[in-house]
Amino acid sequence: MTTSAPPAIRVDGLIHLYGAAAGDVLALDGVDLRIRAGEFVALVGPSGCGKTTLLRAVAGLLKPAAGTVTVFGGSAQAAQAAHTLGLVTQEPGLLPWRSVEANVRLSLEITGAAADVPALLERVGIARFARHRPGELSGGMRQRVALARALAHGPRLLLMDEPFGALDELSREAIRLELALLWERERPAVLFVTHAVREAVLLSDRVVVMSGSPGRIVEEIAVDLPRPRAEAIDSTPPFIALVDRVRTALRADARAPAPAAPGRT
Amino acid sequence: MTSASPRDVTALPEAIALDRPRAGRRSLTWLVPPAVFAVILGAWETAVRALEVKAYLLPPPSAVARALLEEPGRFAVAAAVSLEAALGGLAIATLTAFALAAVMAHSRPLERALYPPALLLKVTPIVAVYPLLTIWFGFGMWPKMLVVALITFFPTLVNALVGLRSVNQSALDFLHALHASRSQVFWRLRVPSSLPYLFAALRISVPLALIGAVVAEFLSGASGMGQVILIANGDFDTAVLFGAVFVLGALGVSLTALVSYLERRVLDWHESSRGV
Repeated sequence: MTTSAPPAIRVDGLIHLYGAAAGDVLALDGVDLRIRAGEFVALVGPSGCGKTTLLRAVAGLLKPAAGTVTVFGGSAQAAQAAHTLGLVTQEPGLLPWRSVEANVRLSLEITGAAADVPALLERVGIARFARHRPGELSGGMRQRVALARALAHGPRLLLMDEPFGALDELSREAIRLELALLWERERPAVLFVTHAVREAVLLSDRVVVMSGSPGRIVEEIAVDLPRPRAEAIDSTPPFIALVDRVRTALRADARAPAPAAPGRT
Repeated sequence: MTSASPRDVTALPEAIALDRPRAGRRSLTWLVPPAVFAVILGAWETAVRALEVKAYLLPPPSAVARALLEEPGRFAVAAAVSLEAALGGLAIATLTAFALAAVMAHSRPLERALYPPALLLKVTPIVAVYPLLTIWFGFGMWPKMLVVALITFFPTLVNALVGLRSVNQSALDFLHALHASRSQVFWRLRVPSSLPYLFAALRISVPLALIGAVVAEFLSGASGMGQVILIANGDFDTAVLFGAVFVLGALGVSLTALVSYLERRVLDWHESSRGV
């Protein structure tokens, strides 16, 4: 797979532990993962299976105990320095003293990149709130700001950690659509961590299923549905079959005996 | 009209709608403190006159007012001197405490090294240090400002340190993922995040600064409101004593109000400044 361009993400034998020596919790136990440039991969699994740990390792926000992470052929830190990454987390972490527009400009201030911010705000549907503060917006609107901020500097890899987890179903549907459109346009590689199986199938090219305690990848399911996809696709037989496959993989894991160690998401 | 339900009231013309209990209560609340104050002064005046209390024990408010109006210049100059010492010392303390907090926030070992001396400053009775300060700096403005600075330093240090550390983790992760430098994180995230804590510190340290200035003036007897009180005390001039107390009280209230005003302006994004 790596004959021409290096993959966006290449993770080999990743192991990570939490806690002091005696009560160590094995969060990740030998995880391998490849994501091609421009590929949208959803990562699903039960709470505490190490999804977030894996994403943070790829973002260079934690140093794994063992194993290697490469991002576009270099280290995660090199990817940070090259401004290759965009990060969206469940709690958007906007700066409450800045306006929506100034929050999006933060990425440009840090990276020195240039972008048409008003156009970007238009694309994620928050142009009319440009001068508002995050505290005046709904959760869905705030997450749109976070998305715009993560995309402003043109990252080649978008890391999203349950970005819509705290939103109501209607906001979720709307922002999912925006994300799909933005992805079609910019084509960054995406690692999208979620609990929601339907969401994973709807958005991704491939669903990676993780099991918990210790965190392992148990199955990878290619989503060969045509694009662009509309929400209406969720009632088609191929979609339902894919959702069933992912659910089965998750359930198979839940039935398997697991060591009684608490995990961490 | 009093029996109108809330929904009816909103439909009524503006003049009548103002009769709504909420609006009415809000428009009158600011009158309550001055009214209470006036009632207390009135009761004081009548009690002193009716019971024929000796003026050197408890002067009536009218005598206090006379004392203030006889020498307005003296009180104004003394108040200005005390205010200068209080604000100067407060500025020194706030700037040095914030700078030190910035250093400590970046390094746990430095925090551990610097915290004990800072704590020692806090627990040392400043009155005991004052003679040293006069030997080193004389009787001018400096020793007074240093007394104020020593008193107000610690609350500011602790609050600034907590504030600089209490940053939103998601925002920090985002900045780190973009390879933001330490100074970018400091100025764009840590400093604004610490402002609510800094204002909390000011609410504590502004009254302390006035105390510090007056205490230093007591000890030196050279100038300011502390000197006014010292002299009036020697003369049994209770009217002037009360006058000084009122002036200091007014200074304290004004400074606190100024801090509140600035806080509302600067922290208009923060939960604390948002209405219910």
